[in-house]
Amino acid sequence: MKYLIFIFMAFLLCSAFAQNKQVLYGLEQVPQSLLLNPGINVPQKAHFGIPLFSQFHINAGMTGVSVFDIFGESSVDINTRIRNKIFELEATDFFSATQQLEIINFGWRARNGIYFSGGVYEELDFIVYFPKDLAVLAYEGNQDYIGVPFDLGQISTTGDLMTVFHFGANKQVSEKLTLGARAKLYSSLFSFKSTNNEGTFITREGDEDSENIYEHTIENLDASVQTSGYASLRDMDGASQVTKEILGRALFGGNVGVGVDVGATYKVTEKITTSASILDLGVIFHTKDVESYRASGTYTLDGIELLFPPIGEGEPTFPYYEDLEDEFEREIPIDTLTSGYTQLRPVKVNASVSYTFGRRIGSSGVCDCLNMGDDVKRNQAVGLQFYGISRPKGLQMAGTFFYYRRLWDVLSAKATYTVDPYSNSNVGLGLVADLGKVNFYIAADNLLRYGNLAKANNVSLQLGINIKIENE
Amino acid sequence: MKNNLLVPFLGILSFIFIASSCVKDTDFDQAQDIVLTPVVELNLIHFDLEAEDFYDEVAMTERLTVQDSTQIRFLDDSGFQESLVRAEFFFRFKNSIPRDFDVAFQFLDSLQQQTYFTGTSVNQGSAGNEVVTEFTQNVEGEDLLLLTTSDRVVVSVTIPTSGPNLEGNLKLQSKATYFFEIKEQEE
Repeated sequence: MKYLIFIFMAFLLCSAFAQNKQVLYGLEQVPQSLLLNPGINVPQKAHFGIPLFSQFHINAGMTGVSVFDIFGESSVDINTRIRNKIFELEATDFFSATQQLEIINFGWRARNGIYFSGGVYEELDFIVYFPKDLAVLAYEGNQDYIGVPFDLGQISTTGDLMTVFHFGANKQVSEKLTLGARAKLYSSLFSFKSTNNEGTFITREGDEDSENIYEHTIENLDASVQTSGYASLRDMDGASQVTKEILGRALFGGNVGVGVDVGATYKVTEKITTSASILDLGVIFHTKDVESYRASGTYTLDGIELLFPPIGEGEPTFPYYEDLEDEFEREIPIDTLTSGYTQLRPVKVNASVSYTFGRRIGSSGVCDCLNMGDDVKRNQAVGLQFYGISRPKGLQMAGTFFYYRRLWDVLSAKATYTVDPYSNSNVGLGLVADLGKVNFYIAADNLLRYGNLAKANNVSLQLGINIKIENE
Repeated sequence: MKNNLLVPFLGILSFIFIASSCVKDTDFDQAQDIVLTPVVELNLIHFDLEAEDFYDEVAMTERLTVQDSTQIRFLDDSGFQESLVRAEFFFRFKNSIPRDFDVAFQFLDSLQQQTYFTGTSVNQGSAGNEVVTEFTQNVEGEDLLLLTTSDRVVVSVTIPTSGPNLEGNLKLQSKATYFFEIKEQEE
């Protein structure tokens, strides 16, 4: 248990909010912002990321509870704190983790003005909702809950490990409008999903006609787990063999899917700009190495009925216990299916509106006669951003207020304040430096919690290095 | 000039981001103190014996003791053994046979050796008048260790006298309340 907690903490130590890269969104000096909106204004002529170092992103976040809530030094007994949290949390609270590692990223502007970009990244995505009723049952038992149904449908979790190959195009189509789109090819290495489950467990006091004191009933159970890429791993022994197999699938060994990102930036006035993007509008077709399990039915456990058969000394009686197990398996059968299934990717939506002001840049502050107004840039901006992601139990949203400032020619900063399902006091900061051709960026959120990460529901750190070739 | 300053500046800033993030005022040793204490109510066995079960109509003889047994596989499961701190068995007899009964519960291990024993007497009833006898047996400490080495219970029901014309039913309903303390096991 202790080790698990340490691994969990290690996750938290270098983590970011579930896929919402609010600091990077719209930060056009960072080439990776093209992955958040393919229709952003691209200032550079070409870029390529330092392989494996162009973007590293990892996050873990919990709603409703922090590490400090449980493990903080306190005079209150830890078990009391856990119990209070279990009752405080809701079945819509969740723990989620995302990790991305960019393997390759490159882009260039063609003669026709289109900025092409492409690359490969690896993504791990996991979410589990808090199964409150089951937690109460595990923590308290059923003694105080006779006649109270426990909802088994609260179990909801998905997990994915995949490689994403992408290629996109971006063009400023008019003075005001920039459009972009990106095609994605997913290669799923491993995937599981258990959502839309139903059923209750209830222990009722038996009445006059009951066979026994209680009736333990699983009612209308319909629970399923879909897996792909798991069946072939199950029989392997040792982590090294499994790791080898997974890495072997990283290219095109897995199940394949397709998707698109689309985005646009529209300059409403010289100072007001809006943008929006829809990411990962796609599906993965799980056809290979698929195994799904489905348990369904209703069953009432009365206990073991002894029949006292007239048998001689030493003769065996009925195998009551085995019969009970068989009966359970008959009433609530677990079917294993190997038919393929189609999985929708969690769709992400970004939108923003920003207002630029301050000193003009890129013209040393003197006459800017050659620039006929189509690319007037100022050194400061404020704005609002919206982020949404489709999740098993509905849309999760976040709203961000940001302030951007170009500090020197080589250094820009963006500060964000975000309200999301995790907290309403998330302050983030990002810095981008262009040192000659080297582009370095670092973005972190939940800075207010950096003094003590244990109190954070989530924190983030993203960083990367690119080589950028600016327009002449 | 500016660039020269910037590299160390960014380096230091990155370092501060990572290094200043820390986890304070926490005590992960508390994980050792986490104890789950569920109390689980679970049906055990039940039966419905008829008076004629105590008379062999073919051989025309009394059958004074009837016996049956069942496995209870989870009892000697190692996780169950380690976490269980107390078990309370509750038996409810409903008797409409005009005889007292002795009922014995013998717990056997996998080698068929008795590890734990309990029993009770059941009050006699009469036709049309079920008499209820309830019996609770609390098991903890040394006895619990013995109980949880068993995986089978043998139930013996003994009637003092019987005959072909005896009527009525002896019913048993039973449950167990298991008190757990689930915590990190010593390594």
